[in-house]
Amino acid sequence: MKRIAEYFVDLLVSHAGVDSKLWVLDGDLADSYGATVFAEAFPDRFVMAGIAEQNMISMAAGMASCGARPFVFSFAAFLAYRAADQIRVSMAQSGLPVTLVASHAGGCVGRNGRSHSAIGDIALMASMPGMKIWAPADRHDVLSAFTDARSRNLPVYCRAPREKVGDLRMPPGALRVSSLSGSGEDNITGILLLGSGLSAHWVLELQQTLQSSGIACRAASVARVHPLPDEIVPLVGAADLLVVVEDHVRIGGLADLIAARCGRLPDKWFGWSGYPVAADAAAARKQAGLDAEQMAVAVRQLIGR
Amino acid sequence: MQLGEPHFTQASAVRRSVVEMLHRSGGGHFGGSLSVVDILLVIWRDFLDLEGAQRDRFVLSKGHCVSALYCVMHALGHLEADNLQSLPGHPEYGRPALSDFSTGSLGQGLSASVGMALILRDHGRRAWVVMGDGECQEGQVWEAAMLAARLELGNLIAIVDCNGHQEWGYRPDRSPVRDLPAKWRAFGWEVEEVDGHNAQDLASAVKRLTGPASGRPGVVLATTVKGRGVPLIESDPDRFHCGVLEPDEFAALRWT
Repeated sequence: MKRIAEYFVDLLVSHAGVDSKLWVLDGDLADSYGATVFAEAFPDRFVMAGIAEQNMISMAAGMASCGARPFVFSFAAFLAYRAADQIRVSMAQSGLPVTLVASHAGGCVGRNGRSHSAIGDIALMASMPGMKIWAPADRHDVLSAFTDARSRNLPVYCRAPREKVGDLRMPPGALRVSSLSGSGEDNITGILLLGSGLSAHWVLELQQTLQSSGIACRAASVARVHPLPDEIVPLVGAADLLVVVEDHVRIGGLADLIAARCGRLPDKWFGWSGYPVAADAAAARKQAGLDAEQMAVAVRQLIGR
Repeated sequence: MQLGEPHFTQASAVRRSVVEMLHRSGGGHFGGSLSVVDILLVIWRDFLDLEGAQRDRFVLSKGHCVSALYCVMHALGHLEADNLQSLPGHPEYGRPALSDFSTGSLGQGLSASVGMALILRDHGRRAWVVMGDGECQEGQVWEAAMLAARLELGNLIAIVDCNGHQEWGYRPDRSPVRDLPAKWRAFGWEVEEVDGHNAQDLASAVKRLTGPASGRPGVVLATTVKGRGVPLIESDPDRFHCGVLEPDEFAALRWT
């Protein structure tokens, strides 16, 4: 189990030897997600940009304008919020190929508390035409995001939670869909639980909890949050009941992006209604009603079982 | 290199183009566009090396004065006259082709040029950036200044158009931007102070900064007059920070 940002570092280290365009910039948090590994392996292409995120973003864009492919690491709170205008002008409006790896995104930021949470970053990034957003749930999604970022000549925002994650138990693909729990059937009607990034893992927990109550449902994860993949339209359209679980606030998050793309609001939504408490992930989720047990109760109430 | 009278003649023609362009557009940033003309002309005409794929890069960080850049590019044959009126009112990356970065939100251009200089250093090229003195109130400028010195970017040249005014119209003795030479020196930069309308002095200062590598980035603090070359605009820099020339005023304009 590793942090999502660490998986990005692994890929950067493994590719930088043959791709001299790859650079890493860091905002003095390299220890928190292992960017130190890249710094040691490729010191000439690592920039410790210091505690100056606004400069770091515009600087990376300047590097990209000269042919480099910079990956910029910091916490999501300090990239998406502190440097929002630099992302808007230097990256999104210029269309320059800078990739942001925004660690500690979402509401599970441990004892760091609300100043370090980033529960509206998807909304911010999606509101800027030109930005593409990935929210990988595991190392396989990270590879998809990394490959996409390197192959496109455009800016990308990658959302990475603080929590360490293992492989998501779903088949690979642009839209990862589990088989119907307890049946193995492949029809796509019924209850659909949909998440992305860290909340894809929460969705699997919820599926398991509902299954233990005899409620069959399908779980799905979408890693490319914006723009959403085409495959999501028929899946969402066919579901009898749509449940969206996200590590984000309601406005401008996954549910809203699905509504904009598929024309359907969720029948039930789970996410952050306020700032998270300063606590470990389990306690923060429980306080916000985002643990599997509380979410399962809410779903059972909705369907009358 | 065209200094003295040839420069004056060329700069005067550019100034006329700037004023006509802004007037036809319904107004704009007359004052700062006129103050920066000599600086842009000297850099673009006498120093920028635009040959090859990894050419020098140029960022106009005080993006609201882009009309001056367009007119200088046109005067030097980098831009067709037909395109002038259709270009954006603040620089956009790649539009036109030699527009090397999007600016308009003040304070970002120096950071971009730091990134450019880092990549260009291995290719023997330079990054150039022109800022405003008011722009130096942006905190990001000093984030970039600090890092540029730490990275020893001797191939980074900044020119600050010190016209002494901004939209609010501070009296010179109450300027919020004070002691710029000491500030830049304190951040580890080589500093030159010149008359920003004297092409010879500008060129000499730039030559000193681009001479034998000191390993330190260089900044030219160029003292200028807002509205330079048009007495009506020089006389009211606050109105013409961003303003409109009435038709009768435009028809009666005097030039110096």
